[in-house]
Formats: sequence, C-alpha cells, structure tokens
Amino acid sequence: MKHKIGVYICHCGGNISDYVDVKRVAEEMAKIEGVEISVDTIFACADSSQKQIANDIKEKGIDGIVVASCSPKLHYPTFSSVAEHAGLNKYNYVHANIREQCSWAHSDNKPKATEKAIQIVKAAIARVKESEALETIEVDSQKIIAVIGAGVAGMRAADELADLGIKVYLIEREFFVGGRIAQLDYLCSTTETGKELVTRLYEKIMDNPNITLFTGAEVIEKKGSIGNFNLKVKITPRYIKNKCKKDELLKAIEVCPVEVLDEFNFGITKRKAIYKNFPSEYPQIPTIDSKNCTRCGECEKVCSSIDFSQKEEVLDLSVGSILVATGFDPYTPKENEFGWGIDNVVTLPQFRRIINMCDDKLVYNGKKIKHIAYIYCVGSRQVDGENKYCSRYCCTATLYTSILTKNKYKDVQSYHFTRGIRTYGKQEIVYDKSSRQGDIFLQSYEDEPPMIEQKKGKTIVKINDILTNKMELEVEADLVVLVTGIEPRKDTNISEVLKIPKGRDKFYNEIHMKLRPVETVIDGVTIAGACQGPKNIMESMNSALSAAAKSYSIVNKGKLNLPPIIAVVNKETCTWCNKCLDACPYDAISKISENGKDIAFVNESVCKGCGMCLPVCESDSLELLGYTNHEIENMIKALVD
Amino acid sequence: MPENNKTIEYDALIIGGGIAGGEAALNLANVGYKVLIVEKDLSIGGKMILLSKVFPTLDCSACITTPKVSEIMRHPNITVFTSTQASNIIKKDDGTFEATITKQPRYVIAEDCTGCQLCEQACPVSVDDQFQYNLVGRKAAYIPFSIASPRIAAIDIANCTLCGACERACPTKCIDFTQTVETYSLKAKTVIIATGFQLFDPTLIPRYGYGKFKNVITAMQMERQLAPTRPFNTILRPSDGKMPDNIAYILCTGSRDKTVGNPICSQVCCMYSTKQAQLLMGALPMADITLYYLNIRAFGKGFNEFYAQAQAMGVQFTKGKVAKITEKENGNLLLRYEDINGGGVVKETEHDMVVLSVGILPNQGIAELFSNDELVLDPYNYIGQSDFLASPAQTSIKGVFVAGVASGPMDIPDSILSAGSASSDAANYIRHLNKKTVSV
Amino acid sequence: MTVVNQNLPKILVFSTEKISDPAIDMAGLLKLHYPPKVYTIVVPCSSAIKPKWILKAFEDGFDGVFIAADGTDCPYGESCVEKTSALVQNTQDKMKTKGIEPAKLRMAAICSVCSEAFVKQMKTFTEYLVNQQ
Ligand SMILES: Cc1cc2nc3c(=O)[nH]c(=O)nc-3n(C[C@H](O)[C@H](O)[C@H](O)COP(=O)(O)OP(=O)(O)OC[C@H]3O[C@@H](n4cnc5c(N)ncnc54)[C@H](O)[C@@H]3O)c2cc1C
Ligand SMILES: Cc1cc2nc3c(=O)[nH]c(=O)nc-3n(C[C@H](O)[C@H](O)[C@H](O)COP(=O)(O)OP(=O)(O)OC[C@H]3O[C@@H](n4cnc5c(N)ncnc54)[C@H](O)[C@@H]3O)c2cc1C
Ligand code: SF4
Ligand code: SF4
Repeated sequence: MKHKIGVYICHCGGNISDYVDVKRVAEEMAKIEGVEISVDTIFACADSSQKQIANDIKEKGIDGIVVASCSPKLHYPTFSSVAEHAGLNKYNYVHANIREQCSWAHSDNKPKATEKAIQIVKAAIARVKESEALETIEVDSQKIIAVIGAGVAGMRAADELADLGIKVYLIEREFFVGGRIAQLDYLCSTTETGKELVTRLYEKIMDNPNITLFTGAEVIEKKGSIGNFNLKVKITPRYIKNKCKKDELLKAIEVCPVEVLDEFNFGITKRKAIYKNFPSEYPQIPTIDSKNCTRCGECEKVCSSIDFSQKEEVLDLSVGSILVATGFDPYTPKENEFGWGIDNVVTLPQFRRIINMCDDKLVYNGKKIKHIAYIYCVGSRQVDGENKYCSRYCCTATLYTSILTKNKYKDVQSYHFTRGIRTYGKQEIVYDKSSRQGDIFLQSYEDEPPMIEQKKGKTIVKINDILTNKMELEVEADLVVLVTGIEPRKDTNISEVLKIPKGRDKFYNEIHMKLRPVETVIDGVTIAGACQGPKNIMESMNSALSAAAKSYSIVNKGKLNLPPIIAVVNKETCTWCNKCLDACPYDAISKISENGKDIAFVNESVCKGCGMCLPVCESDSLELLGYTNHEIENMIKALVD
Repeated sequence: MPENNKTIEYDALIIGGGIAGGEAALNLANVGYKVLIVEKDLSIGGKMILLSKVFPTLDCSACITTPKVSEIMRHPNITVFTSTQASNIIKKDDGTFEATITKQPRYVIAEDCTGCQLCEQACPVSVDDQFQYNLVGRKAAYIPFSIASPRIAAIDIANCTLCGACERACPTKCIDFTQTVETYSLKAKTVIIATGFQLFDPTLIPRYGYGKFKNVITAMQMERQLAPTRPFNTILRPSDGKMPDNIAYILCTGSRDKTVGNPICSQVCCMYSTKQAQLLMGALPMADITLYYLNIRAFGKGFNEFYAQAQAMGVQFTKGKVAKITEKENGNLLLRYEDINGGGVVKETEHDMVVLSVGILPNQGIAELFSNDELVLDPYNYIGQSDFLASPAQTSIKGVFVAGVASGPMDIPDSILSAGSASSDAANYIRHLNKKTVSV
Repeated sequence: MTVVNQNLPKILVFSTEKISDPAIDMAGLLKLHYPPKVYTIVVPCSSAIKPKWILKAFEDGFDGVFIAADGTDCPYGESCVEKTSALVQNTQDKMKTKGIEPAKLRMAAICSVCSEAFVKQMKTFTEYLVNQQ
C-alpha cells in the first residue's frame, strides 16, 4: 500500500485547463488519504516539470506517482521513465487520461468535465495505492528480421539491415522483385529508370550473404511475439530448375500455347503461362503460372530446365521482428466511372506501359494518338466514394508523364482535367515545365467532376471549368488517361495474419505519426513504404530506413526486456480444473505438482499477458500483474464514489 | 576559465538542434554512438517547439517536442552545445572529420542558473522578443521562452547596457560578464546537417504592406498567438488590440513565385494555414476566416480529410491571386484580388487582419562550413541529395548526411522519417569506418 | 438525445489497450461528444475481464457496464471473440440470479478507429438506461 503519493494535474497548455478546472481537481486530490503532493502544472511533460517530479521522488520520498494528462499512448513512456530515473519502480506510476477521454470528449460541458476528471484521477490514485513494484522479464531475441515485400522499400530495408549484420529473410509474394517500380521506366526528377534502380538494389541484395530472398512466398501463419515470432511461409514453386539454360527457356516461352492477360502490363497485352515480365527482370528466371498452365508439356519438350515435380513447400522461420513493406495497388475504376469500359480510356499505369511499348509513334488499339485528356483524382478525393484521401504521387507522376510523352512524340497535345494541382515542394518545377510546353489545364468543381461520353464514335470530355469563367468546355480526345490513385493492397491475407490495424484511409496505421511513425501496435512489427499511405520513392526510402533502424534496435542486443505483465497463480486456491490451459492462446500454462497437489503453472517467458485465462478460472486463482483484483476493484469503487 | 581549443571527440556531429537534428541524435545515441549537437540558438527544438498545434492531428506541438527535447538533454550519449556553430569542417583521408566549434558566451553560468527569472524582472532594457516573432518585448537579460531547453537565462550583450541590475538580482550569482568565446577542435566520424529553414521575408513583396500596415502579420506570428506559450491570452490585432473578426490568409507568399527567386512550393503553408483557420474558428467562434489560395496542397496522410474538415467548419477557401493590399484609416485592410473561381474578375474585399502564409527558404552559408570538399547544393540552395532515390540523406560528401528541411521543404512527420534515414546511413558509415580501422 | 444531466446513468466501459481505447481517444480528439458519466478502465484484452469485476461495478453503483471488445482485431488472436462472448454470457447468467437486468451489460466490438461507433453506443446505452430508471 502506497501512502506518499504524488499527483500532478496537467493543463496541457489549455487543452485540458480550458475545459477542466485543474486547480480544483488538484485541490480535491490533496484531500485524499495517502496523497502527499497534489499540484497542477502547465506542461507535465516539460523538462522542468519532469525534474520536479524526479525531485519529489528523491527528496520527499514519494512512493507512487499519478500524472493526469493526455492519453497514455502519448506519454505513458515519458512519465514511467521519469519515475524510473528517479529511482521509483515504473509500475508504481499510473497514468490518468483526462484529455482525450475527458476535456476534449466533454468540451461541451465544462462542469461535468471537471467532475469526471476528479473521478478519473481518484481512480488512478486508488490504483497506484495497490500497485506493486514489478521487474521486467528478460528473454532472448532472434537476431533475424523478416522483411515482407520486395518492392523498393522492402529491398532497401533488407539491404540496410544486412549491412548492419542482421540476418534477413526477404519474403516476396510475386516471382520477381521490384514491386511497382519495376513497372515504371522513367522516374520523375532523375535520370535513373525504375528498372535501373531495381537492378541496383537487387545486386546489393544478392551480394549480401546475410539476406535470403524467397520469391513466390507468402506468410500464412504467425505465432509468438516480439523477439520470437514463428512464421509459416508457403513457397509456390517456379517449376524451373535453379540452374537453367537461358536460350532453351526462351524457346519454351515461344512454344507455350496458353495466352492470358498480362497483369504486369495491366491487361493491355497478353503473356504465356510460362513467362517473364520483361527481359531484364530479377531474378532472371521465368516462372510457370500454375493457375493457367494446362500441363500440356510443350515447354518440357524444348527445355530441360522445366521441372514439374517441384512441390509447394511450407517453411518455418523464426524471427525477432517483422518489417512489412507490402506496398499498394493502383485504383481500378468501377464500370462506367469516368468512361471506364470505353476502349480508348486507360489508366495512368496502363498508359505508362503503353509509352514504354510504343517506339517512335504513339499508337493505341491501332489508332494514332494526338490529343490526350488526363482526368485527375480518379479513385482519390472522392466526394461520394470511400477514398477521401489524396494519393499524393499522381499529380506529379501525370505531369511528368505528359512531359515524357511530349519529348518522345512531338505532336501530342495534353489536356489536364484537374482538381487543383498538388505538385508540392520541389515538384512544382514539373508543373511549371508542363505548362511551358503548352499543356492545357482545366479544373472542375469538387462536386462536379468532368464527364466522359462517346458521341458518334468520338470520345468527348466535358467539364464545367473553374479557370475559364465557369464555361462548359468540351475536348475531343484520342485517348483518355484516368489518373488512378493508390489504394491499399486488395488481398488482406497479410494483415489478417499479422493483425496490423488500419487507419481511416484503410492503409496500415502507425502508432503516432510524429512520435512513433514506423511502429505498429503489434510489438515488434514495423511498417515502411506505400503500405502505410501514398508515398513516392524517396519518401518510401526514408520510411524504409527508419523502420529498418527500429527493427534493428529490437533485435540487435539478442535480448529483450519485456513488460512483467503476466498471469500468476494462487497456489493455495488453485485446484487444477484445466480450464485455463484451454483458454491460453500461447500454451504458457501447464500442470505441475507441488506438495502433492496438481496446480497450474505459468511460463513467464511465454505468457504475453493477454489475461484470457482470468475469467475462466472458477476458483479465481489467476491474477494478471498490473491488473489485480485489488487494483481493478479499487478503481471501480473510486469511479463511483 | 575554460581552456580554449581543447580537442573533443564524438562519433557524430549534428549541426542544428531542431526536430530533425534531435531525432537523428536520439537514434544514434540509442544504439550507442556518442553525439554532439551544435545549435546556433539559445534553445534546441527548432521551429517546432514554437508552434501551436500541428496538422493533421492537432496534437499540441509543445507536448510532442518537450519530452523529446528533455530526452535529448538527459541522454548520456548526447552533448548539446547551444549558441554554438561549427566551421572549417575538413574531411580527412581516413574518412573522418575535423571541425572548429565556436561557442558564444551566454554570460550566465549555466550550471548555477535556476531559471528563476529575477534577472529578467530586474533588467531595465526592453527589446523585441525574437522568439515571439516580435509581437511583444523582452529584456536584455532573459529566458528565451517558457519551454526552452535549457531553460536558463542569457544576456543579450548587443542590447545590454552593462548596468549590472541582473548581477545584483541573481540569487545564485550566476551572471558572469567575463565569459568569452570558447573554441574547440572536434574530431568526428560523421556529420549530419539538420539546419532547417528560415522564413521568407515578406517586406520583399511591398504590395502586401508587411511592416507598414500594422494588421498584416506573418503566419509564424499567428502561430505564436495560438500557441499555449502565447504572448497574450487571446488573438489580438496589433493596431488596436481588438479581437479580429474577419481574417484573411494569403497563401504562397514568397513561394511559387519566380519574381522573388523562389519558384518552388513550400509544402507546409497550405496545411498550416488550414490548421490555423481551424484553431481560430475555435478561439474566435464568431470570426470569418478566408484563405486566398492558388491550389491547396493537401497531399499527405490525413491532409485531404483535414482540408475537408476545415471546409465543413465554415472556413472560406477562395481561389484567387491577391494583387495588392491597402490600409484603411481604421486599420482594416482592402484586398484586391483576381477571383479565379469567379471567372477571373478583379474583386475587392475588406478584412480586419491579414496573415501572410510565408514560405520557407533554406538557411544560407552551410556549404561554406566545409573547407576541403564541396558540399553541392540543389538549384534552390537546399543541400543536394546525391542519391535521392536510394539513400535520400546522402550528400555530395561521403560521410555527410542531411536531415529535415535542410534538404527541401517538408512537414514534421517527413522530417522525422528523413532523420531516421540520415541516422541509419550515418550509423552505417561509422561502422564501416570502425571496421576499416580494425583491419588496418 | 436530450437527457437531463443530473440523472445521467453511470456507465463503466472496459476498453482494451491496443484496439478500443485508441478509438475512444480518437472520439475525444475529434471532439465527438458523448455523455460525461462514461468512465473507462483499460485492460489488455476484452477476454481478460472477470465477471466478478462487472458484478462489483453494479454493486458499487454503476448503472451499466459496456465492454468495448477487440473483436477480430485482437492482437492476441481470434479466439478473443468467442471468449469475450462467453464471459459476457456467464456474467449475464450471474446477473439474472442477482436480479440485475442482463441488458445492463452490453458488448460491442470497437475497432481502433471506430470512434463514431463508440459514441453512438454510449448515446443509445445511456438512453436505454435512462428509460430503465
Ligand atoms: C503510375 C505510377 C507512377 C509513379 N511514378 C513515380 C515517380 O516517377 N517517382 C517516384 O518517386 N514515385 C513514383 N511512383 C510511386 C512509387 O511507385 C511508389 O513510391 C513505390 O512503388 C513504393 O514502393 P513500395 O516498396 O512501398 O511498394 P511496392 O512497389 O508496391 O512493392 C511492394 C512489394 O510487396 C509485395 N507484396 C505485396 N503483398 C505481399 C505479401 N502479402 N507477401 C509478400 N509480398 C507482398 C509486392 O509484390 C511488391 O513486390 C509512381 C507510382 C505509379 C503508380
Ligand atoms: C508557420 C509554420 C507552421 C507550421 N506548422 C506545422 C504543422 O502544423 N505540422 C507540421 O507537420 N509541420 C509544420 N510546420 C513545418 C515544421 O516547422 C518543419 O517541418 C520542422 O520544423 C522542420 O524541422 P527541422 O529540424 O528540419 O528545421 P528547424 O525547425 O528549422 O530546425 C533547424 C535548427 O537548426 C538550427 N541551425 C540552423 N543553422 C545552423 C547552423 N549553421 N549551426 C547550428 N545550428 C543551426 C536552427 O537554429 C534550428 O534550431 C510549420 C512551419 C511553419 C513555418
Ligand atoms: S496527387 Fe493530384 S491527382 Fe493525385 S489524388 Fe492528389 S490531387 Fe488528385
Ligand atoms: S504549400 Fe500551399 S501555400 Fe505553400 S507554397 Fe505550396 S501551394 Fe503555396
């Protein structure tokens, strides 16, 4: 029982004190038995306040601390480490959330907000009174990291980690690396092409013995937790021997009779069932697409490298941390959305493949293209749809595409149907350049997007234009390019396996944009690149390197200090009914015999502190440290007192 | 008296103690490297520590910055020198660096100052307070601002009259006018440049009347008025101290404007203006807020939603180019602008306060700090990124990295990620150096 | 909804550290208001709530208890859903024997961004409890 408690009520510079009478809260708390100090402070998190708390602990012998301030997600670590530095066990610190769950939530009712704050802090004091000093549990951690996704972000993170001396499993679901960048030729603001960048990264990865690359690989199960994750990875065979003969393989591709739409070219071309996406792709071995292959055996006849005996495998990998870099999907328009379905309406990624494939003349569907209409924000900034966010890359990518097109095919004219160009930062120069080459800009109203229709075999784009005196304008286009945005990957497999929470935009969510920008609430799992939200390459790299540094800091010591929040058994009352054994999702509980009696035993390095065993115990013999009956029941009482 | 030209040794030198420099320092220190931060100002924290709340989450900026700042100050692997600059940085053949570190005197014995502010009360000299962006005054003996780190006094010697009032008032006798410049020779294995930005000087656009019309202020001044450590307890217009009720923002002031030599977009002003508009709607519920813009750059995670939120709250967004501002006798301002949404006609509106959303510009003179190797700048004078696709922090000098706005305009989340990337690369560089020395 | 403040029923919410508590925080951040007599106790997982705590809450004077469950988002595994419902069922049985209306214990899955759903739950639950009074 603590009896010299220090209570600090934060104004949060007005965020709390504008709605809650913090002085009164502090006064009320001072009356409670066992409270030694109760004061208000403008910023509890400021250096001077932290020093004061530390001094109080050292000089006044404070044995329990409550700080009532913002959400514990923000500053629980701050104050618990203040306590620790000052020599108090950090579990004798309790955080009371009177900002997010009080002053802000009830900013419409100041008297009630103050009353609620009083109850919340009282409950925190009731809890700290019962709190016990707990010591962290040390466990060994695997010095291995799994990087999921071998796009630019994943490859760069893997390279960095391997350079740091960490063993890396790089797990790519496709048969080739590079992600979306491999599909891009020229990149904005640089002379390096997407392929060259991928090649550069791939060569570094192959050079580094610390990295094992798995292609055709998918994580299907995750067990364990930070420091010791066990992953099951399903490897789909390539059906091609590792040491293969290149010219024979080319022949094999030639003779394959099956043709399917080529996803790499976004369905504008076809490929065989045995294929490579493009000649210089990595790894430089084709693959057989088992879904479409008819097993006719034609390829086997001309190529000795084909091996249909290869089987699907499931590998067990143990890793200390998981870095997720699974990227994005380009938005696919809905039927009829901005004319989608008309044969000369394509998406921006498709158009990039078209330019890539046309040499000196820009031709699509056998027709020469002269007038191009770009429709912006398709699938982004939706007024009615769900995607409220801006896809960030597309204004710049489109303007850059238009410059590329003009440079390659002199006689094209581009019309941009925008919703306000967002070439932020230095990318403004791209906007300026495209204006100077004679591109025409039109802007629609937010709630009145341009319309695409067919009239007598011609494709017409209509717009009520902001920029030219609200005139209804019509442009006849040979090709309409829908500037499709970025969406979270459609397949949800990996998020289901790993349980990474998503934000309002459905991209993976970080814990805090500014404090912990690459960590997720799943301890040990970090995120990087465009799976976290739209990003260009540079931004993806910055997050990849940050995530690599974070994952590294988890595993590098080979040891981890885990919170001591684990279940404990009351040996006296336990009668071993084995209900807890079934309830524990981690197999942390087993039966032991002590003094001739069977009782439950909790393995502390396996227990994750979920508490699932607590409610099933009929004799109430299980307690979760930090959430004991005393603590919870005292809080409940204090909340209604 | 400290001995001059003492040699000091660290793994990393970080120039600039803003959020980017601070974050990079923490990352390196946490994996065991010794770091020296040199900060030219009296406090670390950069611009961020002075902001009100931050977009797009409306977190209170001080609440995020101050704990980071105190973690930096307390970290056993980090040393912070304030009022200090690095110069004459030389890259040695073995890949390490040498530099001269010059520390200006504070005229206060840092260890003894308790921050009691008695010197401030005693000092008779009053000058503009640069940390409040000249909205109010401060003394010549002063604590920079309430959440400064270190939170200790300094004497502004340029304005001090040497009257000695502070010396007499100080209970710990820590005022020391005999302090002189200290210099050190530094050896370090890597350098991170995190020198951030300066704000565009709006007097360069005389048509907006900044400096002439009292009720035309900059967004940074508004930021201070909205901050929890604000100078007044509310929003006031400077001419008569009245609460404004019709405020205009002029976006792209000094950005996207070749006539002032800055063709690029500043990347943060659309969003900070949108943020301030939302905060003003809260502080002055009756006020009308209009943003005059060219395009709204609401591109980042949560930004477009934040923009929509402002529109829903009733913030007026007018697509228009402001040509000229004139002042009326009552201090109100007439804006002449081309109404692009309204068909390009020229219109005039009246507001009682105008906020210029000034752009951001690189700090000058950074390349000159390097003596024997060339630090290449980009066309806009930001630090050039020699491999911006694969290693965005890499500069033209191997072993020298860049973090935060020093490499180009960006917001806080991006600055933090860029600092993560710089520290990752820097750590790798140090490790490779260490390996080499072992094998030699 | 118009509920007179004086007679507002007291609701105890059990939220979870990683999933539903962030959603409740976000409700505050977005200033989505809900009745001010809603108090939360945070636990690691919704399937860790002991029935006796809930009974104790009613005994001590709470009018309603709401479990903001992890649902399928639970970081400790999907069995959370079934275990949370089991403990709710178990508690409601016990409530019946004590003569407490079982509907005074409610549960709903609140994902980490479900702030609007949470606010709605609090409003309708309050309304329900007011009508019971
Ligand atoms: C048309 C277009 C033009 C662009 N132009 C530019 C430009 O000029 N400059 C620029 O900087 N940026 C540009 N971008 C943006 C750029 O594409 C992204 O920044 C970049 O691709 C993000 O990389 P990433 O590694 O995060 O994701 P991705 O490239 O999507 O890579 C993710 C990888 O993860 C793999 N993966 C997915 N799910 C799983 C799973 N469950 N298990 C295992 N692996 C999985 C994928 O197969 C893929 O290989 C453009 C984007 C588009 C669409
Ligand atoms: C009005 C305004 C409002 C803003 N609001 C937001 C917002 O709401 N959300 C958001 O995300 N972003 C916002 N920003 C952007 C944000 O301020 C920057 O992203 C961030 O401050 C960048 O941090 P930095 O460390 O790179 O630079 P800085 O903050 O500029 O720090 C650089 C540091 O280096 C020091 N320094 C400079 N030169 C030298 C030298 N030669 N030697 C030693 N030290 C040196 C400086 O004194 C300074 O302390 C806003 C910007 C402005 C102008
Ligand atoms: S970047 Fe441009 S095209 Fe893409 S969603 Fe944003 S505003 Fe629309
Ligand atoms: S961010 Fe907005 S206000 Fe700032 S320069 Fe860019 S477009 Fe102009």
